[in-house]
Amino acid sequence: MTILARLERWKEQGAISAEQHAHLAGLCRGEPFSIFLELNVVLYAGVVAFVAGLGWTVTTWSQQLGDIVVLTVLSTLLAVCSWYCYSRTPAWSPAETPAPSPIFDYVLYLGSLVWCVELAYLEKRFHVLSGQWDHYLLASAGLFFFLAYRFDNRFVLSLALSSLAGWFGLTISHWPSHQDAAYREYALLYCLLVCVGGALLQRRNLKPHFFGTYLNIVANILFWALLSGVFQRQGYGLWFFALLIACGASLAWGLARRQFAFVAYAAVYGYVGVSTMLVRGVTDETFLLSYFVITAITMLVALVQIARSFGRPA
Amino acid sequence: MRLYSASSEETLRARQLLTDWVGEGFLTKEQYQRLEQETISDLRTTNIFLRLVLFLFTLIVVGAAVGLFFVVFLSRPSEYTTGVFFLIFAVLCYAAAEVAVSQARLYRYGIEEALAGCSVGFLCFGIQIAFFSGALYSAKPDRPQFLVPAAGAVFSLWIWRRFGLWYAFPAAMIFVLFLPGYWTFSHSAQRLIVAAFYATGLICVRAVRSRHRFDYLNDVWSLVEAFLWLGIYLAINLQLWSLSLPAKWWGGSRPASEFARPFYWTTWVLIWCLPPIVLTRGVRHKDRFVIAVGAIVAILTFVTNKPYLGWQRHTWDPMLLGILLTAVAIFIRRWLARGTGGIRRGFTAGRISGRDKLLTNAGSAVFGLLTPQSITPATQTSGPGVRFGGGRSGGGGASGDF
Repeated sequence: MTILARLERWKEQGAISAEQHAHLAGLCRGEPFSIFLELNVVLYAGVVAFVAGLGWTVTTWSQQLGDIVVLTVLSTLLAVCSWYCYSRTPAWSPAETPAPSPIFDYVLYLGSLVWCVELAYLEKRFHVLSGQWDHYLLASAGLFFFLAYRFDNRFVLSLALSSLAGWFGLTISHWPSHQDAAYREYALLYCLLVCVGGALLQRRNLKPHFFGTYLNIVANILFWALLSGVFQRQGYGLWFFALLIACGASLAWGLARRQFAFVAYAAVYGYVGVSTMLVRGVTDETFLLSYFVITAITMLVALVQIARSFGRPA
Repeated sequence: MRLYSASSEETLRARQLLTDWVGEGFLTKEQYQRLEQETISDLRTTNIFLRLVLFLFTLIVVGAAVGLFFVVFLSRPSEYTTGVFFLIFAVLCYAAAEVAVSQARLYRYGIEEALAGCSVGFLCFGIQIAFFSGALYSAKPDRPQFLVPAAGAVFSLWIWRRFGLWYAFPAAMIFVLFLPGYWTFSHSAQRLIVAAFYATGLICVRAVRSRHRFDYLNDVWSLVEAFLWLGIYLAINLQLWSLSLPAKWWGGSRPASEFARPFYWTTWVLIWCLPPIVLTRGVRHKDRFVIAVGAIVAILTFVTNKPYLGWQRHTWDPMLLGILLTAVAIFIRRWLARGTGGIRRGFTAGRISGRDKLLTNAGSAVFGLLTPQSITPATQTSGPGVRFGGGRSGGGGASGDF
């Protein structure tokens, strides 16, 4: 029975009204057909392409154009974006606020990215802070956090979190080549700060819908940091213990809140960590392969049980 | 032919729609609870995260089990023996996937998907190793060796049809890419053959689709049609290598001079003709995936037009593209908003599905994090003493170099 036939039956049974039937049947037939998502993707692609071209042009032509032209253009763009956002925004609310216009979020994101380009240009041309990028990153993170909470924008919140990570010395793109103790400690400190900060803001009901973004970013960075400690040749015991605690916490959180991304994190990162510990130094192929067969089946059984208990009954 | 009955899949679809509708306030909670009772199917599903993890661990089990078998029971087997055993494993994996669905009623559960995927992989490896001396690629491939990708394509299509796994179809299309390499050395001919295969598929799909416009198979056929349009476009666009994207899987970048001039300019005309055709078809049939592919190929045409014509690229080209995209999006949005109730010709720019909001929120968080890393250009060498690049440490590349 197709959904249209089902709707017809529900109407005849009196389960839905005639108006509901007309509306829902229309939706099933694509009447109206929403292109909300498609337009958002095109807007995002437009902003990204524009800023990429802007950065490339400034890079290539800054000497020919001169500092005044470059800074005037960048500052004008920044001013226009700021004016647009401040002139359109409604009164601030700690709850989730819909964007005042369809392009609002993208204008704010464009302004934030242009700010990054201008800041980089200023420092590299005039050495205002003598190359101390840490201060720029911290200031940018602060600004982005303010903008994210002021305008309720997830794009800018992610920018803020990545800038803060930059300040802590985390370089996502270069992470694999810096698995040293200092990076790990900074990563843990970052996770602690972001997690506690996010939890406090959520408890105070300040944009509580942002908390999921905080937690997902923290969980991934935390697990990468702990795993890098487990991968060490010496002194990995403490990191392994911490990994087990983190996996337990992630699993408990995921099951309690029915946020199964955290169950997946616990399963995958936990399996990698435990396997690293157990097969460390083992060269016997038969043992290794037997280990993976047995443990992966065990994981499958456990996950199927979880899926049965918590998954959709269909 | 399908493992799942139409009624089971229709019931699952109805359940998903009910969840969406109650989230959007189109149904009351009481109505939802009542109607939900009528949408209970015998299939066992799970959420996307557990599905992915179950897929991963099933792959580990199968891979390790096969490795263990070879280590324990076959020390230094001949290639033929190894290949035959791979074929046996392909049969076992496929049988296990069938059992998982027919007995345990798994539906998009990860486990049966991984088993079906492994069966395709083992089949190709088995045929290759057993009958064609193991080497996957050689300068002068045997003509009968085309059986390997042919078997992969046919079996992937079977998996797609039987299990309804959408990604098995593009897998079959990728296998088809390798077929012409065994028949001709001419790259023009290879592209034509691939495009002909996809075009044939498109004709078949168009013949079948109209029967499923409003049932659960509509999305399936929509996706297939979109993939085929995209495949045809990628096959005929000779300048995609200039983006450095598909060159690797297409077998390395090739200079435009390698192609005959009539062929080259015909493909240039075609890459301009295809986007409006695809977009028109997508819009006319309100087909989300086809519209998306139409937009993608339109952007690719803009991006590859200059290399096609041999014109120099400028640093501000991405800016112009960005302005164009933004202007088009704003224009369409405003044009639709001026219609009665924000609707024109059956289209609206408003959000009518909770799924759209979920995707927008998740996408904005993820892409907001990744974009600064990806858009900051690499170090340029065009001007003395002027460098700009890096995109380090988040912050939109604020720590990059000039």
